[in-house]
Amino acid sequence: MSAPRVTPKLQHEVEQWYYREARLLDGRQYQSWLALCHPEIRYVIPGRGNPLVRNLERGNEAMISVEREMEGADSDGLPIRDETLPYLALRVERSFKANAWAENPPARTRRIIGNVEIVAADEQTLTVWSSFHLHYARPGSRSFLYAGQRRDTLARGEAPGARLLLAREVILDMAEIAYPTLGLFL
Amino acid sequence: MPMRVRDVVNPDATLVGRRAWSDPHLYELEKRGIFARSWLFLAHSSQLRNPGDFVQAYMCETPIIVTHGTDGGIHALINSCSHRGLPVCRADRGNAKRFVCPYHNWNYSVEGRLQAIPQERHLEGRADKSALGLKRVPRVEQWNGMIFGSFDEAIEPLEDHLGDMRWYLDAFFGRFPQGVEFVGSPQRWVIEANWKLPVENQLGDVNHGPFLHAAVIPPEANAEVFEFGHSVVTAPGHGATFRLMPEDAPLERVAWGFEGMASLLAPETHAYLREIHALALERVGPLRARMKGLTYGIFPNLSFLWSNTAFKVSHPRGPGRVEYWSWSVVPADAPEAFKRILRGNHTAFFGPGGILEQEDSEAWVQQRIGSGIDFADDRPYYYGLGLNEEKPHPELPGLVGATANEFYARGFFTRWREALAAVEDER
Repeated sequence: MSAPRVTPKLQHEVEQWYYREARLLDGRQYQSWLALCHPEIRYVIPGRGNPLVRNLERGNEAMISVEREMEGADSDGLPIRDETLPYLALRVERSFKANAWAENPPARTRRIIGNVEIVAADEQTLTVWSSFHLHYARPGSRSFLYAGQRRDTLARGEAPGARLLLAREVILDMAEIAYPTLGLFL
Repeated sequence: MPMRVRDVVNPDATLVGRRAWSDPHLYELEKRGIFARSWLFLAHSSQLRNPGDFVQAYMCETPIIVTHGTDGGIHALINSCSHRGLPVCRADRGNAKRFVCPYHNWNYSVEGRLQAIPQERHLEGRADKSALGLKRVPRVEQWNGMIFGSFDEAIEPLEDHLGDMRWYLDAFFGRFPQGVEFVGSPQRWVIEANWKLPVENQLGDVNHGPFLHAAVIPPEANAEVFEFGHSVVTAPGHGATFRLMPEDAPLERVAWGFEGMASLLAPETHAYLREIHALALERVGPLRARMKGLTYGIFPNLSFLWSNTAFKVSHPRGPGRVEYWSWSVVPADAPEAFKRILRGNHTAFFGPGGILEQEDSEAWVQQRIGSGIDFADDRPYYYGLGLNEEKPHPELPGLVGATANEFYARGFFTRWREALAAVEDER
């Protein structure tokens, strides 16, 4: 992965991809969203804990790095979710059944995607980090604000110019999990 | 006029009043009658292998540090400084030489002894440090790596409390020559629900599966539960549900691990699963090797979900709020790739992002709302399904019934009623 040469055209194209994805998810078009996923997708929400401060790291940025707090897919810890395409497909299938009771009536969501930064690029893939705020309102409950970061890998699709989501890591900025669900597509 | 517990639940617990799930006064009685007098699950020995290792835990709302001492013992300490009450440990888990209060740096050994009061170097007098250690949980015992604590010094031994549940726990844990290990930190999340409903759900309520989870659980899986399912109560408040598969059933339908997504996603581990099943026949015997577990519950608030290999504890946070903890459990000797898949098979279906659990937690929240409805105190919840249909079994310890029989919940609530009434009577 070389240092990316980010042209305004590439930046624009990638941002448009994220806006379209957000529109599909907030519009509950999960089947269309699933078509944006690569067959080899890895979808991960790391757990976020409170580790001990390491004395050796005092005075360094590493001491309080976000990464230290994460129990991710490749750690020996416990992520909140660690899923491949069959799991995501099962979630999509469930969404369109009348007896998916937690989403009947369905939640109303609206997400704002920002800080879209192409942090690495090669011929085949782009590594893109972005931030989101997601408003979530479930009938019969309160409204909630989800905030976090996505660390994505986008791969080229078969159609010219198409890009598919090959990997997503969602870093949630909560201190305690007090949301109705983390089973939604973030 | 506070609610009397005998008026909230009737003697055979076929009727459970809504206030049992919502009343703050009854919640205080639960703390004193149940959480102060029971064995409560704290941790697993795989999390505390080395001296200095610690994990955080709760006993009801009381924050606990569980440590492996330099003396080799396991200690459970209340996480609150003897000087001004701040927590002396803020990390979820790790390895420490000492716990230091941030306020005035009183510091404690991992066994909870007060080691130093920094202010004393400027003073003449000396406080009696031997009386100022972290408050200890007086009873800590373990069985097969499961560590429990109790605030009741006179409580019966842990093994007696577990009783015949040991036979059922062994049916799973006894299969693995190297035992099991807990993976990383537990998932912890807050649900606006009463702590008892997650407990009841895992204690024996298999019967909600085909209905609440119809969107996800395939009909053939439900059919297997109806055909071969058993519900067992070894003592009131404890329970186990499982399928007892026929002797001639093909190995893939009986052996642990072939169910659900895990084996589908990891066909290269089938040889391991066959080996474990062969060992099960030897280690736990042919009867228990045919057991294909569903859910277990241990009074008051520990659950084990065999199908997705998770331990869960329902920590109350008042009558209407629970902090639910869920640990992923894997056989210590499983291939690394399979451990990852088992971990995913837990988190995809259960926990805060679980495909199944999202329906459960919504049901639990709505039940809390239903339990607070005005003008419905004369309509307690009906717990009478299958009354007196449970029977002794020639081979299985405890009373055994159909999975739709609610005797597991009646058992829980008769014990609950007795425990709370005992506190009321002491006044």
